[in-house]
Amino acid sequence: MQSTKLSLLLFSLIAAVIAFAPAPVSLVRPAERYFRIEASTFAFSPQTIQVNPGDHVTIDLVAQDYVHGLRIDEYEVEVTADPGQTARLSFTAGRPGAFHFRCTVACGAMHPFMVGKLKVGPNWLFWRGLGLGLVAILSGLWWARK
Amino acid sequence: MRKELIAAILLIGLVLGVALAPVIGRRLVRTDVIEIHARTPENGGWSTMNLEAKVGEPLHLRLTSDDVVHGFALGQTNEPMLEILPGEFVETSLTFDRPGTYTFYCTRWCGVNHWRMRGTIQVSGPEGTPEKSAAPLYVRLGLDLDVAHPEFEAPGLRPSVSRGRALGIEIPEQFAAPAYLREHSPLDLFGELKGLPLGEQLTDQQVWDLVALAWAATVTPQELADGRELYAENCAACHGESGKGDGVMADNLAPDGSDSGMDDHSLPTALAGSPPDDSFGHSITAPSDFTDYQMMLAHNSAALQGKILRGGMGTGMPYWGSIFTEEQTWELVGVLWGFVMEE
Amino acid sequence: MNRLALTSTPWIKNLLTSRWPQFIVRTITLAGFLLTILAGLFGSRVGSHNFAIIFVWIAWWSLLKLVFIPAGGRSWCSICPIPMPGEWLQNGGLLGPGGRPLGLGKRWPRKLNNTWLQSAVFLGMGIFSAVILTQPRISGWALLGLFIAAITLSLVFERRSFCRYLCPIGGFTGLYAQLSPVEIRAVDPVVCAGHTEKTCYTGSAQGYGCPWGNFPAALSQDSNCGLCMECLRTCPHDNLAFNLRPYGSEISAKTPLKLDETFLALVMLGSALVYTAVYMGSWGWLKNAAYHVGTLPWLAYALAFLAITLVVVPGLFFGAVWLGKKMSAAREPLKKLAGLYGSGLLPLGMATWVAFTVSFAFAKISYILPVLSDPFGWGWDLFGTASTNLSLVDLWLSPIAQVGVLAGGLLWSSRLVMRLARDRRQALPVLAFALAHAAGMMWLLVG
Repeated sequence: MQSTKLSLLLFSLIAAVIAFAPAPVSLVRPAERYFRIEASTFAFSPQTIQVNPGDHVTIDLVAQDYVHGLRIDEYEVEVTADPGQTARLSFTAGRPGAFHFRCTVACGAMHPFMVGKLKVGPNWLFWRGLGLGLVAILSGLWWARK
Repeated sequence: MRKELIAAILLIGLVLGVALAPVIGRRLVRTDVIEIHARTPENGGWSTMNLEAKVGEPLHLRLTSDDVVHGFALGQTNEPMLEILPGEFVETSLTFDRPGTYTFYCTRWCGVNHWRMRGTIQVSGPEGTPEKSAAPLYVRLGLDLDVAHPEFEAPGLRPSVSRGRALGIEIPEQFAAPAYLREHSPLDLFGELKGLPLGEQLTDQQVWDLVALAWAATVTPQELADGRELYAENCAACHGESGKGDGVMADNLAPDGSDSGMDDHSLPTALAGSPPDDSFGHSITAPSDFTDYQMMLAHNSAALQGKILRGGMGTGMPYWGSIFTEEQTWELVGVLWGFVMEE
Repeated sequence: MNRLALTSTPWIKNLLTSRWPQFIVRTITLAGFLLTILAGLFGSRVGSHNFAIIFVWIAWWSLLKLVFIPAGGRSWCSICPIPMPGEWLQNGGLLGPGGRPLGLGKRWPRKLNNTWLQSAVFLGMGIFSAVILTQPRISGWALLGLFIAAITLSLVFERRSFCRYLCPIGGFTGLYAQLSPVEIRAVDPVVCAGHTEKTCYTGSAQGYGCPWGNFPAALSQDSNCGLCMECLRTCPHDNLAFNLRPYGSEISAKTPLKLDETFLALVMLGSALVYTAVYMGSWGWLKNAAYHVGTLPWLAYALAFLAITLVVVPGLFFGAVWLGKKMSAAREPLKKLAGLYGSGLLPLGMATWVAFTVSFAFAKISYILPVLSDPFGWGWDLFGTASTNLSLVDLWLSPIAQVGVLAGGLLWSSRLVMRLARDRRQALPVLAFALAHAAGMMWLLVG
């Protein structure tokens, strides 16, 4: 039916826009950011750090009990710290999005799940996902109109 | 039925193969290699704590960790330390040319009881009395490590080496030698200098600055650098990277018991609630602040070295006598004075 | 009907009905399972270096959630090693009828002819999941326990009672199998009507009666069909076919989920939220609480876990269904409506677990090759891969895939729910529930 094809096209278009439309470029001036992250079993503290795209970020990793490491997903920068020996990591947050950072040195049973989060700019993936979810529900409702 | 037989053979063959693999695998391990599992002291420490060896015969060790990162080194030797990663194996061979009792220890912080992770290697050799090491300096001087320090009038400013140098006064040779510096305290030197003619014309602060200048000769720059490395690896975790006694392990060492729990820093205090001890029943207190010059200037160098060697004092301070060479202990004493006085 | 009978292709039919290929694959999985238990009980205590942890919780779990279930429903069940020794003993043979059966062959109690036990076992393991997932010894004992239970049940009860009523995996696999693109169905009902012996259920010299306790002639749901192909071998009229079918074609307004199934579906939705929070979240205190079994924090975690999965999420869902019922003045009982919408939310459930699996699987795939060369973590290097660090997928793909899958699942479920609903207003609260769940998962995973 014409109207079904049309509505399908419309919804696909909206979904595509939500999924692929380029995010607005950040207008905030890149700055120097410093964070002191304490690592203990099995958490980073602070567990989430937020910066703006382009910021130059310095992280001091302070191990509280065992040897811990920190590596940021997709940025692939890494540092290891022993208790008593703070280690420093520096990088430029060029890539926007939300990235997990993980412990890279086996520090006990739950080590594979020791994660924190680096947020660079707004979390576009999450908002796009939410938008897609909304489109999904609306398309279901629309489809039932017939 | 033949089909059933073939199926059964296939099944039993595969199952037995899998079942026997570990058994055979274990059998194929070299018998002359001793496998040691490193675990945190709370989990049992070294799986073998007492080893035996013979002079001249290599001792083959295969080390692995069952939980966190550990390290292995032999006390009072220059053997490089080995990193032991969980699940990974590292092998080493130790050869001893003198009989005696050697201490091996963990070199990577693995909890507040890390320093307890030690074992001994009893090396036997040709008959003869083993060399007896000399008594530590504080013993020869008859110092009591546990006595309270004398009250004294501390300087208003932290004694400064550069200010001392700017005075342009030469310190008498006898007071600038490590031999003197290692047997006395800065307070002693202050008293000596004050009593000299040069001291009469200087203010107290200026004399203290001269003391700082003299005290810088306790160790050479290279020794200080080596000492700083030792301090970072062994001491900073409790004593703090800046010597203030605020190391990460010190969180568990609050004197009034108000700590956040021994094994976990992220649990809310209400849920953690373990008593201020090191889980082995020893009471522990927070380390002193080395940067507190008003307290430290009255300390005797030999006494400081003694405390490093002997530990104890009911504080949880480890004893390092079997781990550091005498050279290394003096390097560390130099680091301590570096916290007390400034450049 | 829109079905493609794969068994009308001769080589496919021979492959599926011949006993050897299936037997060989099952023997291999059994050997692998034995290796898993041995590695768990005697191997390295470091999970990342132990075959048991890596192969069960990374490799097999990923295959199950990403391949076996979405593509084949209960296809894993056809090669699962856990029930095999029990079944072989029960049948008195390895390759077909003719042996001397062993066991009491009791009927499974009527009262337990549902998925409540499976929900309970799943939740029970969930409370201890942090320790099971990370400690090889505990994993080993848990799997050994399931193994012994399966063998014992085979010797006491008839057929695959463990698989159908106890296996914690079987519960949700069966639920999501209703969405799968494969099925085994009778071809011509007239032929079945004329066949009095019903050997598809009772067994014959050619094959056992359905080991799953189904009546293949009348099979209409995939939830309890383990795709073992036995009925294809037994039917003397060649009247059973293995079909390809459209996704979700089994879900209909005429076959709402029963209450136990509805609850299981909700337990799966709720537990996914908790697991994601515990394992993928950044809350270290939560991970510690989940891990330190026996402590007060763990007790709080266990109670919260049960409350969320048994009370909060089901409560919200039943509330949504009730609201919809009120808004549409429907006369069906709440239980039936809940079952109806429960079946509509199955795609969301499956997508949720796919997304959760993707979130940890992609990052840990690199452990698989090393552990193949050194299954016990004793320093072996059987195949030379002990030190490889091959990460098969680029990490940046992972969050995008998670979001995509969740959105896709939500889309599928919302269309399915609208298809099932008699009245649009009735479905609105349920759609809101679905959106809230998907949003919650998205926030926990990539938020």
